[in-house]
Amino acid sequence: MSRKLISAVIALGLSTTIAVAQDYPTKEIQGIIQWSAGGSTDTVMRSVTPHAEAALGGTVVMQNMTGAVGAIALNHVAGAKADGYTLLMGAENPLLYKVMGLGDKDYSEFTPINILARGTPILVANKDAPFDDYSGMLDYIASNPGALRLGSTGPGGLPSVITAMMNTVEGELDVIAVPYDGDGPALTALQGGAIDVMPAVLGAAIETIRAGAIKPIAIFDVEQNENLPDVPLVTSFNDGYNTYLPWGPFFGVFAPKDTPDDVVAKLSAAYTEGAANPDFMKLMEDRGFTMMGISGAEATAFLSKWQQGTAWLLQDSGLAKTSPEEFGIARP
Amino acid sequence: MHPEFRGDMDHHDGTSDAIPGGYVEKQRPGELAFAIFLTLASLFLLYSAYGISGFDALSAPGAIPMATTLVMAISAFAVVLRTARLKKVTTETLSKDILPGTVVLFIGFLIVFGLLLQPLGFVLTAAVFLIVAIKVLAKRGWGYTLAVALGSLVVIWIVFRVVFTVLLPAGVLPEAEFIQYFRNLMSAGAS
Amino acid sequence: MDTFLAIFTVFTQLDLLVLVGVGTFVGIYIGAIPGLSVTMAVSILISFTFSWDVYPAISLMVGIYMGGVYGGSRTAILLNIPGAPSAIATAMDGYPMAQRGEAGQAIGVTTVMSFFGGLIGILVLALAAPFVSEFALSFQPRDYMLLAVLGILLVGSLSSGSMIKGIFAGSLGIAIGAVGRDPLTFTERFTFDFQIMEGGISFIAVMIGMFGVSEALMQLQNVNMKAVRQKIDRIVPSFGTVKKYLPLSLQTSTIGVIIGALPGTGGDIAALMAYDHAKRVTKKPKVPFGQGAMEGLVAPETANNAAVGGAFIPMMTLGIPGDAVTAIMIGALFIHGLNPGPMLMIDQPDMFWFIVGALFTANIFMLIFGLTGIKIFTKIVEIPRSIIIPLILLLSIVGAYAVNNSITDVYWMLGFGVFGYFMRHYGYPLGPVILGVILSRLLDDNWRRAIISEREELGRFFHGIFTSPLSLVLFVAVILIFVSQTPLWAILKKRLFRKTS
Repeated sequence: MSRKLISAVIALGLSTTIAVAQDYPTKEIQGIIQWSAGGSTDTVMRSVTPHAEAALGGTVVMQNMTGAVGAIALNHVAGAKADGYTLLMGAENPLLYKVMGLGDKDYSEFTPINILARGTPILVANKDAPFDDYSGMLDYIASNPGALRLGSTGPGGLPSVITAMMNTVEGELDVIAVPYDGDGPALTALQGGAIDVMPAVLGAAIETIRAGAIKPIAIFDVEQNENLPDVPLVTSFNDGYNTYLPWGPFFGVFAPKDTPDDVVAKLSAAYTEGAANPDFMKLMEDRGFTMMGISGAEATAFLSKWQQGTAWLLQDSGLAKTSPEEFGIARP
Repeated sequence: MHPEFRGDMDHHDGTSDAIPGGYVEKQRPGELAFAIFLTLASLFLLYSAYGISGFDALSAPGAIPMATTLVMAISAFAVVLRTARLKKVTTETLSKDILPGTVVLFIGFLIVFGLLLQPLGFVLTAAVFLIVAIKVLAKRGWGYTLAVALGSLVVIWIVFRVVFTVLLPAGVLPEAEFIQYFRNLMSAGAS
Repeated sequence: MDTFLAIFTVFTQLDLLVLVGVGTFVGIYIGAIPGLSVTMAVSILISFTFSWDVYPAISLMVGIYMGGVYGGSRTAILLNIPGAPSAIATAMDGYPMAQRGEAGQAIGVTTVMSFFGGLIGILVLALAAPFVSEFALSFQPRDYMLLAVLGILLVGSLSSGSMIKGIFAGSLGIAIGAVGRDPLTFTERFTFDFQIMEGGISFIAVMIGMFGVSEALMQLQNVNMKAVRQKIDRIVPSFGTVKKYLPLSLQTSTIGVIIGALPGTGGDIAALMAYDHAKRVTKKPKVPFGQGAMEGLVAPETANNAAVGGAFIPMMTLGIPGDAVTAIMIGALFIHGLNPGPMLMIDQPDMFWFIVGALFTANIFMLIFGLTGIKIFTKIVEIPRSIIIPLILLLSIVGAYAVNNSITDVYWMLGFGVFGYFMRHYGYPLGPVILGVILSRLLDDNWRRAIISEREELGRFFHGIFTSPLSLVLFVAVILIFVSQTPLWAILKKRLFRKTS
C-alpha cells in the first residue's frame, strides 16, 4: 500500500474522530449507576445529571446496574466502547476491589469526569447506649469486652474502614461486628437496638440525629461540621486520627480510559456546571456532603491518594485479602 | 383417587401451578430420570456449599447454603425412591406428552434468541423470532404473519425502549442515533 | 387542624387529581406486564419530574405505586403469569377461575378487595403510624429470622400435590437466593468461579422464567385449543359477597399492613402469608383452594394493597423505607428539597396528610379503572394462542433483561423456564421455589446477624428468644405451624379426640 494512501486513511480516521467529538453528543449517553435505586449514589446522580444534561445539550439515560458490590457495573462500563456514550456513576468502593479480592479492575481503567462530593463519617450510637461520648465508649469497651455490637456493611465499606482506623489508632477494640447490607438497614437496626454503635456517613444519619432517635458520638473529620456544630471531632480525643483524616466516601462520574480528550473535556465541563447549580449545592449541603467538583489531573491525584491511604490502612489492620503492594499501590 | 391428589384428571400436565402435573400413583415418562438428575445436582451443590466456608462457624456464609442443599439432596432422593416404586403410565411417551416436537423447537428458538441477542441486537432478533414463531404456530399467510409480528414488536419496543428507557442491546442497528434524531425533531418542533 | 386539611389538597387541585388518576391508570398496566416494575417506573419518574414541584411529582408516584401493586393480579388471573411478585399467590386460584370462564368475576372480586385492603392500609397509616413504626423497629434480627422460617413453612400450603416435592422446591429456592457474592462478607457462593455468576440470580428473572416461559411452553402443546369464552356480565361482586369475606379480609389486611411496615419485607411476602392464613382459617371453602376458591383471591389481594399503606408508615415517621418503592420516594423527597426522616412529621406535617390524601385518591381511581376496563382486558385471553405464546416469550425476555439490564438474567430466565416446564410435568410445585428465593436473604442474613450478635453461642441465642415477648410469640407460632403440618399433629389430635369422647 502506498504511503500516501496510508496517510490519507489516517487523516480520514482523524477527521472522523474530530467530527464525532465536535458534534458530541450525537446520541443518548448511558449512565450506569453502580448502586440500586433509592441509595445515596442513585439520589446524587439523578439530581445532578439533569443540570449536566442542560449544560451538555444531550440526554443521559440512567440505569441502575447492581450486584457484586458494584463490580458488575464497573466491569460493564470498563468493557464498553470508549466513545463517551457509556459513563459510570460510582462511589469509592472500586478503589478497594483489588485489595479486597472483589475484582481485578478499579478506577485506573477509567478517566474521571468529575468527583462530585465527599461524605463525612460520623460515629453514632443507640439513644439508650450507656455512654455519651467517644471516651465514654472506649471505657465501656474496655470494661465490657466483647459486648458492644458495632454495625458494619461488609469488608471495604465505610464502617470497616473507620473500624480499621479506630483499631490502628486506639489499639485492638474487642467488639462484635454485626454485618448489614448497607448503611440504611444498619441505621434502622441501630434505632431498634439490634446494634449499639455504627460508623455511618453523616448525610444518612443526620435527620435521625436531629430527631434525637440516635446520638452522635464523634465526627471523623478535621474540621467542625456546619450541620452539627456541637458534635466533637474525633481528633479532639486522639491526635492519632490526624494521620488518616480527612477521609470519606465520594461520588464521581467516570468514563472508560482512552475516551477522546475533547469528549472528556466536554463532559467534565457539563458536570462541573451541573454540580455548581444552587439547587444541587443546597441539596448536598443539607445532606452533609462536602462539595468537591474536581476533574482532570486533580481528580486523578485525589483518587490515587485515597486509594493508597485506605488500602494500606486495611492492609495494616489485617482486613485486606491481598497486599496493596501486589498491585503497585505505594504506601503513602 | 389418591388423597394427596388435589388436581383433576384433565390437568396432569400441570397447566396451573395450583394443580401441579403428574399422577400421584403413576410414573410419567422421564420422571424417574428427572428425580435422579435432581438428586445428583443437589449432591453437587451440597459439595459446592461445603466449599464456601466448610464447618467454619454457625454464622459462616456457607451455613445456610449447606443446610438447604442437604435438604434438597434428601428430599430429591426420597422422591427417587418413591417414584421408582410407582408403575409407569402406559398411555404416554416422552416424545408425545413431555417433549413434543413443537416444544423442542421452541426451546431451540429461545436458545438461539439468547445467543443472538447481544451481537445482533434486540430489534432484529425479536423480529426474526416473532415472524418465525407466529408463522410456525399460526400457519397463516406471510402478510398476516408480518403484520402481527412487526406490529406487536413496534409496540413492545416503544414501551420498553422509549417510554421506560430500558437500554436493550442495540447490536448492529444505530438505535440510539435513531432515537436522538427523533428527539431533535421533537425539540425543533417545540421551539 | 390546618395541617390535617392537607389531606384534601388532591381534591381541590385539579392537576394533582389528574396526575394521581393518570398514575394509577398507567400503574395498572405497568403492574400487569411482567418485567415492568413499579420500582423501575418510579425511579424513571425521579428524572422525569425533576423540575416539577414536589406535590405533582409525589401524586404521580403514589398513583403508579397503588395501581402497580393491583395490576399484577391481572395477568396472574388471565394468563397464569403474575405481573409482579406480589401477585404470585393470586395466580393460584385466579387462573383456575379464568379457565372456567369466570375471569370477569375473579377480576371484579380482586378489584374490590384490593380497594378494601388499600383502604385499611391507608387508615392504619393515618391513625396509627407512630405506634406501628415503633413496633416495626422493635423487630430484632432473630425476629426477622423467625418470620422467615414462618414464611418457609408456607411451603406446606403452597404445594398442593406432593409435600416432599414442595420441600425440594422450597429449598431449591433458598439455594437460588444464595447464588452470587454474599452481601455481608462478599464471599462467593455457588459461582463456580464464573464472573457472570457474581451478581447472583435476580428473583424476578426466576419468577418470569418459571411462570412465564414454562407456562408458554406448556400451552404450546395445545395451540389449537379454542380459548375459553369469558363471561363478563357479572363483574361487580354483590354486597353479600363482599360482606361474606369481610372478616377474612380484615385479618389479611392486618397481615399486609404489618409485613408492609417492616423494613425489608413487602407485598410479595405479605400476599403469600395471607394466602396461607386464608387456607388455615377457611374450614369449608365452596371451591377447594387451588381450583378457584374466592378466599384464595381475597387474601393475597387485600394483603398486598394493605402493604402499600404499611410501607409508608416507617417512611413517613422515621425516614426508613418500608420497601424498594418507598426507598426511591425518599430519594425523590430529598431531591425536592425535603428532608425525610423522623423530623418530617414535625417539620412538615402537611406532607404526611397530603400523601395520605393522595393514597386515598389513588385507591378510589384503582377501583374505578379496575372495574371499567375489564372487557378489553379479558379479550387478552381470547387472542389466538399462536400469537400470544410468542408474545409471552418475547415479553419474558425483555422483562428479564429490564430488571437489571443484564443479559445474564435473560439466560437464567430461559434456563429456569425450561426447568420449570419439567417441574410442572412431573408434579413439582413452582410457588415454593419463588417463596424460597424471596425469603432466602431474609433468613440467611438475619440468622447470621442474630448468631453473631450472640457471639456464636446457641444458648444465648435461645435465651434471647425466650426473654423477648415478640420473639417468643413468633417462635411459638413457628412450632405450632410446624407441628400442624407433620403427622405428629394427626396422632395428637386422635389422642385428644379419644380422651374427650
